[in-house]
Amino acid sequence: MSNSLVEVTGLSVSYRHGRSWRRVVEDVSFHVNRGEVFGLVGESGCGKSTVALQLLGFRHATLRADAGSIAIGGLDVRSLDRAGLNRMRGAKVSFVPQNPTTALNPGMRVGAQVDEVLLAHGRAAEPRTAELFDLVGLSTGTEFLRRYPHQLSGGQQQRVCIAMALACEPELVVLDEPTTGLDVTTQEQIADLLIGLRRRLGMSMLYVTHDLGLLSQIADRIGVMYAGRMVEVAPAADLFAEPRHPYTRGLIGALPRIDGGDTPAKPLRGLLQRDLLPKGCPFAPRCDHALKKCFDEVQALRSAGAGRAVACWRFEAIGPDAAGQLPQISARRAAQEELLRVDRLSVTYGRGARAFMALKDVSFTISKGETLALVGESGSGKSTMARAISGLIAPASGEVRMRGERLAPLVKHRSAEQRRLIQYVFQNPDASLNPRATVGTSLARPSAFFFPERVAAGDDGLLTALDDVRLDENYAARYPDQLSGGERQRVAIARALIAEPDLLLCDEVLSALDVSVQASILELLQRLKAERGVAMLFISHDLAVVRMLADRVHVLFRGEVMESGTRGQIFAPPFHPYTHALLEAVPAPLKTRRPAARPLQAALTATPACPYAGRCRWRIGPICDDKAPPLRESTNGHVIRCHHDLAALARLTRANPTGE
Amino acid sequence: MARTDIGPTEIAEQRHGFVSSWGQMPLSFRIGAVILGLHFAVAVTGPFWAPYGYSQMGTGAPLSGASLAHPFGIDQLGRDVFSRVVHGSWIVILLSLSGTLLGTITGAIIGLFSGYVGGWIDEVIQRLLEALISIPFLVFALIAIAAAGTEHSGNPFLITMVVALVYAPRIARIARAAAIDITTRDYVTVARLRGEGAWSVMRRELLPNATSVLLVEFALRVGYAPVLIGSLGFLGFGLRPPTPEWGIMISENRALLIIAPSTVLGPGLALASLVVGFNLFTEGLARVLDRTVKLGAQ
Repeated sequence: MSNSLVEVTGLSVSYRHGRSWRRVVEDVSFHVNRGEVFGLVGESGCGKSTVALQLLGFRHATLRADAGSIAIGGLDVRSLDRAGLNRMRGAKVSFVPQNPTTALNPGMRVGAQVDEVLLAHGRAAEPRTAELFDLVGLSTGTEFLRRYPHQLSGGQQQRVCIAMALACEPELVVLDEPTTGLDVTTQEQIADLLIGLRRRLGMSMLYVTHDLGLLSQIADRIGVMYAGRMVEVAPAADLFAEPRHPYTRGLIGALPRIDGGDTPAKPLRGLLQRDLLPKGCPFAPRCDHALKKCFDEVQALRSAGAGRAVACWRFEAIGPDAAGQLPQISARRAAQEELLRVDRLSVTYGRGARAFMALKDVSFTISKGETLALVGESGSGKSTMARAISGLIAPASGEVRMRGERLAPLVKHRSAEQRRLIQYVFQNPDASLNPRATVGTSLARPSAFFFPERVAAGDDGLLTALDDVRLDENYAARYPDQLSGGERQRVAIARALIAEPDLLLCDEVLSALDVSVQASILELLQRLKAERGVAMLFISHDLAVVRMLADRVHVLFRGEVMESGTRGQIFAPPFHPYTHALLEAVPAPLKTRRPAARPLQAALTATPACPYAGRCRWRIGPICDDKAPPLRESTNGHVIRCHHDLAALARLTRANPTGE
Repeated sequence: MARTDIGPTEIAEQRHGFVSSWGQMPLSFRIGAVILGLHFAVAVTGPFWAPYGYSQMGTGAPLSGASLAHPFGIDQLGRDVFSRVVHGSWIVILLSLSGTLLGTITGAIIGLFSGYVGGWIDEVIQRLLEALISIPFLVFALIAIAAAGTEHSGNPFLITMVVALVYAPRIARIARAAAIDITTRDYVTVARLRGEGAWSVMRRELLPNATSVLLVEFALRVGYAPVLIGSLGFLGFGLRPPTPEWGIMISENRALLIIAPSTVLGPGLALASLVVGFNLFTEGLARVLDRTVKLGAQ
């Protein structure tokens, strides 16, 4: 063990809750070797960030380390005083936070913020800050160093945070969900950067995330946490090849796979309920293999082969393929009857010279019971489309028709029936329910509003609605703060369904949720699609999810449709260069990474004729900037907008296959 | 220090409300509540045990200072000041509460509406409110009283209206800010998409989420209302003598400040302790509410 840099032994941490203390981390032990990336993974609330912060000696009046020791390079972190901690932080151990927007001081130039770290540790700032900016792939010009955080993109801000963390050449960098708040493509760039940095600098990292797919590409070894306990530790490759703890299996099973075909990811059963943990294994209530002994006896981490440890006494007894199969949903054949038609819709924000075109001449139709997915990174106009269809914003031109009837641009001019038929489900379940209204009240209102005579007759549809989203009637009396994120999203979906809509606008409904919860909501949506035949406009940046739900897909970039077609057509070559880049950015377990081939920062001097020209890796030449790309249609309805013809795109795709 | 005896199983028992008992309330809240409790007790029961009537003359030698029989002394007309303070208590408290309540309700309606509707209607309402707020509140109150005409002078309802009028624009601004914040939430968007009218959205979505803000604002304003009422009384624009309103008493007895200081200090002390009580209570309340609101948001 002479090679190990970090030794955490028997760490237990509690948070204050009122007057009592609540144990959030229970007897966690692990080590990180020099030059190694150790990943900590688990659902939110499992204590992984708490452990990470303890490595930096985080202390607070509401937090208490009850037991255990933390040694970093022989230094006992828990016994350090304030001065000792100050010397250690930044120099020996540094931190990259989740949200760079709040981590950077908005009133201070970014160069000065990095200088500050160096000066605090008695080092010269002058050439070093520029070196660091170069190291993380940022411009080193004085102009750039003198920018304020709000003048940088999210990815650039995170790079600045990484530069700060690297400033004093620490031995260990602790990263707390460093890519979670970023776009898929930016996420990929940051991940690439971290992998490259690690190769060049040979430092150790503790990488905390809930994203197993991403972790598999970065980490050497992975520790899986559940309810404050470490349940499995293994080298990354082994963990994915053969997960041993039932929880790890569940996590890996819940990952949406881009190559997984149509079989839905298997969600983990139930939810982590900290109040209802048994005496023994915390995972027992959700485990398919739990026996009585599991509920009574705490499972200690024990060795399970080379470099592996599992906290499960019967992992050997559980066969490698114990993951149950979901009942196969018989997909109802979508009738080809047109429900919604969007015709050459354009939306502009702002006025005059500063006007910004969020959507340009986008057209599509959705048939009854069909799911159309809009994919693209943030800023591509996906949500704008949903807002325009729902009547929250008026389009600059174009029109929306529902069942052949032209819809008024704004919702206040639409009839009650038209409003009822289109229902909106939002991204963030925390903001979409009134915190001062019970679930019952929130659901009763749309029912009373749209079906007054039915409610007067005594049928408020509440129980049916709750049952539709698989919640029992006890939920009606609860307030949103008594629900988990996934349950809130279920209630939001129930509120939309109670109006008996023909079309659901699902705006990133999964992206605020944990992986395992995502899988269960996805399963719910699939079921609704099959059972109720409700059509959906499914907006997402996550192609893996889209693949499991959508019938047809439109790929948007800067407000223009780059590719459209059925699911099968979109996920098979030929690809539009942008679709290809998106597919490549999907973190899939054990996908080997190639260094990003395109420039990291899109140079956008003028508005080229092809919106994607500035970032395209298969750029032909000036023609891309000067001439609008033609629509190339292959077989029945698959359309790609590109100067390359379809044969060339197919060839390019074969030369750069996605995934493994 | 190392307590390893807390297992996850015990967590369930440890979970309880954050502010469930008196002992967990902030100190300022508790002190304020005690002071207010005393005031309310005096206001309700005072008229039954006060030694003399509020306009009863000849209770002793006029202009005499504090004594055991007359703790606050006796004024020029031979009235017992202590009894007058006790009798005046319910008047001051009732006027403060009703005036502030009226102002809060009016202000909340105006503010929530203005913030929710937005656009030029909001602009117009805001400019009007700013114009009203820019006038010092005492001047504003005097203008309102003058406008009401002499036939209403000294009418307690007029005083209530004046307090409400002074407070409504200030509360409206707070309510508007809250409304603008809440309006951006998705649940309000859902209600709008459903086609709910402004009144329905205000009542169902905005008001329940603005109550803690409005409650704190109400408690804060109610603490200063006695000062406003007292100032009006002191200047002779408030209630009419012989009403034992504390401001009037301070005004009437200010000439006696040297000979019998307790006749001024008595009502002054009552006024000051009421205001301090309200303020401490409010401060504590704001802290408790803020905490529960934050807790609810988790």
